[in-house]
Parts: sequence; C-alpha cells; structure tokens
Amino acid sequence: MSRRIIILILLFTATLIASFTATIILNPATPSELKGLAKYYVLNTINETASPEAVTAIVWDYRGLDTIYETLVLYLAIVGGLAMFKMSEEALLKTRIGLTLLSKTSTKIVALLIASIAAAIVFHGHLSPGGGFPGGSAVAVASMIIIPVFAAGTLIEKGVSSTKLVAIRGAALTALGLVALLPVVKGLEIVTNQRFYPASILGLPISGSLSLYNLFESLAVASGFTAIALYLSIPEEAHKGGSGA
Amino acid sequence: MITSILLLIIAPLLSIFFVYMAVTEKDLLKAAAYSAGQSIAYSILLQAMSTPDIVMTYIAVSVGLYSALLVFVISKTERFER
Amino acid sequence: MLEAFTYILIIAVLGLNALVSIYGIVYGRSLVKKLISLTILSDTVLVAVIFAGFYYAYPIVPPVYQDLAGAGREFLVKHASDPLPQALVLTGIVIGLAVNALIAFGIIQAYRLAKTTDARKVVEVLSGVEVTE
Repeated sequence: MSRRIIILILLFTATLIASFTATIILNPATPSELKGLAKYYVLNTINETASPEAVTAIVWDYRGLDTIYETLVLYLAIVGGLAMFKMSEEALLKTRIGLTLLSKTSTKIVALLIASIAAAIVFHGHLSPGGGFPGGSAVAVASMIIIPVFAAGTLIEKGVSSTKLVAIRGAALTALGLVALLPVVKGLEIVTNQRFYPASILGLPISGSLSLYNLFESLAVASGFTAIALYLSIPEEAHKGGSGA
Repeated sequence: MITSILLLIIAPLLSIFFVYMAVTEKDLLKAAAYSAGQSIAYSILLQAMSTPDIVMTYIAVSVGLYSALLVFVISKTERFER
Repeated sequence: MLEAFTYILIIAVLGLNALVSIYGIVYGRSLVKKLISLTILSDTVLVAVIFAGFYYAYPIVPPVYQDLAGAGREFLVKHASDPLPQALVLTGIVIGLAVNALIAFGIIQAYRLAKTTDARKVVEVLSGVEVTE
C-alpha cells in the first residue's frame, strides 16, 4: 500500500462521513421545482422561437448575441494557436506514410458512421437535443481519428490544407454574422428570429434562423478543430528539417 | 427513482478516484487516461441530471478531443514528470 | 433524507475535486500536468453550474417538447431540467477546448526553446533568472 492509495481512501471516507453528518445535522430542504426564469423559457419557447427545444432557443435566440461573441472568442483562440505554431507546408508533406491498410479501411468505416451521426445531430438540432456545438465537436472527433491514421501529408496532397480550413471557418463566421445582421435591413433588432425568418419552409420546420445558425456554427467548430489536429499531428523531426530554421 | 438517486451517488465517488489519480500520477500518459475517466464519471452525473445537450458535447470534447490533444502534446514533449 | 444526502454529497465532491485540481495546478512540476489539472478544474466548474439549476423530480426529462403544437406543457414545467445553465455551459465547453488548445501550443513552443516542460526550469532557461523553491 503506497502513500497515494492511503490518502485516496482517507479522502473517500472523509467525504462520505462529512456528507452523512451534514445531512443528519442540517437536513437541508432540496429544490423540488423549476426556477422562475427557466419556467418562462420552457413555457414560451414554442410560441416565441418556433423551436420545441428550449436549450437551442436560449443559445441562438434569447441569448443569441452572447453566443455570437463567444464564437468570435473561439475563432481568435484557434487563430492565435495556429499563428504561434507556424509551420510550412513542405514540413507537413514529409509525413506521408500512414498506418496499415487494415486500420485505414476500418477507420474509413468508423469515420463515416461518426460523420453521419454528427449530421443528424446538426440538422435536428432545433427539434431534438443537439445543435451546432455538439455536431461540430463530433465531426472534429471523426477528423481527429482520420488524421493520425492517414498521415497529414497524404491529406494535404488530396487538398485539405490548413489555409483552406481557416478559410472555411472565416466563411462560416461571416455567414453567421450575416444571418444575425440581415433583420436590420427591415428595421428590426440584430439577432431577430421569428419576426424576420419563417418558422417553416415547404412544410419543413426550420425554426427560423436557428437551423441556419446551427449549420454555420458546426462548420466553424469542425474546421477549427480539424486545423488544430492537422498541425498537432506533425512529428517534431519533420518540423525541424522542413522549416530550415 | 432509485436508479437516478443511485447514479447521483456513484458518479461523484467515481470522479473523486479519477481526479485524485490524474493529479498525483507521474506518468503523464496515464494521467491523460485518468482525466478521460474523470470525464466519463462527470458524463454519468450529467446524464442523471437529464441534460442530453451537454452530454453530447461533453463526451465528444472531453473524452475524444481532450485526450487526443493531450496525447499529441505528450508525444511532442516528454512523457514523465520529474 | 436520501435526496438531501445526494445534494450535500455532490456539493462536497465538486468542492473536493476543485481543491485537488487547484493543488495540481499550483504544485505540479510539469506544464502538461498543470494543463491536465486545468481541464479538470474547468470541467468541475461547468458541472457545478449545471448542478445549480438541478432539482429533484421523478422522472426528470430534457426541456424538449414532443411535437410542435406544444402538447404536454404542464408535464414539462414540472419535470424538465433547467435549460438556462445548459445553454451557458454548452458554449463554455467548446470555448474552453479552444483556449486549452492555445495553451497546449504554448507548451510545445516552450519545450522547443527550453528542452524541458518543468515549469521552474522553463522560467530559468527563458528568462535567465534563477528560481528558488
């Protein structure tokens, strides 16, 4: 028994005993109903945002401006990271050998499954749990398993460069800003949803701007994290030889 | 009722184990694995609180992307903490 | 009684996890260890924010309507989980990952210059000032 395990057991027992005694002495009243503001959101989400999903309604409608600024923070953090990690494309091209054929084929199948689940999460984000952030992260997981298996150099030869990924991110962010700014043309406030965008098109419920926001946000998140994975997957030796520094 | 209460008791206790092991581990690769285990414990807790939006994001980011990020960083730097 | 016990237990565990991870940030020698502790701390804080909106209802369901007509409104008000902290945490998780990736790039750059990830030695090599314990 090392000292580490003894301290761990002490922590366990201390937490349990402290909670037991605190329950017996204090016996606090536990919350048993929804808080007032949350009650308002749950009751009015269908009438005011045409979305049956309260979380997406808050993220992109009630507090839409917050989320757009947070997307800007995300953009700046990733651009800062990539700028700090400056790397030439020749260095990337040196890593061209991936893993064996067996792992490549199985990775293709698994990545396809993950990508289809991610698409379902994104396109149903305004109707069921999910949306832009979970869908984008799921796509990023798919690319995170593709990149080490196929090697970054192979992907760059096929035309997946970090400049292109950053360009996709910029385009997605611009589209996000346009969707937010478009209601200003008709004299409405910025990030207006139901008074400007239709609740459904051709019988398909799109919940106004919520599905557009989800789509562009997932593009921004997925391409940003794919660019990070592309840069991180280069071994250090390739970097030293290729940059000529 | 009893299952949700049980999950609310088991998941926090599981998270204590993983957090403590991750912070005190000298082998950084093992610490990253313990950190992924802590994320799974938190995911069980979040699912017991019935927040599927968060669980979807949290599983993908915390078990998938954080682990990959940490493994890449460890492979580029050094594995053992002295 | 059981509900009160789980309530206090979760508060105690989240506090303990925060303390342990702060210990890791302060006393960890390797920068990567500090990064791992930082991710644990941020996860703990986000779960604490979700827990602030939690309440005991059986069954507790996600705040999602089954159809677009708004049926089952009374059931949902009594049984849905709080959507507001969920919306705040949803963005927080992804932004946290981006910021931690920025820190990870910084650690790799520090390793290239100093050939070590030991926090004290990195400061010594990069600034030339000797660090005392």
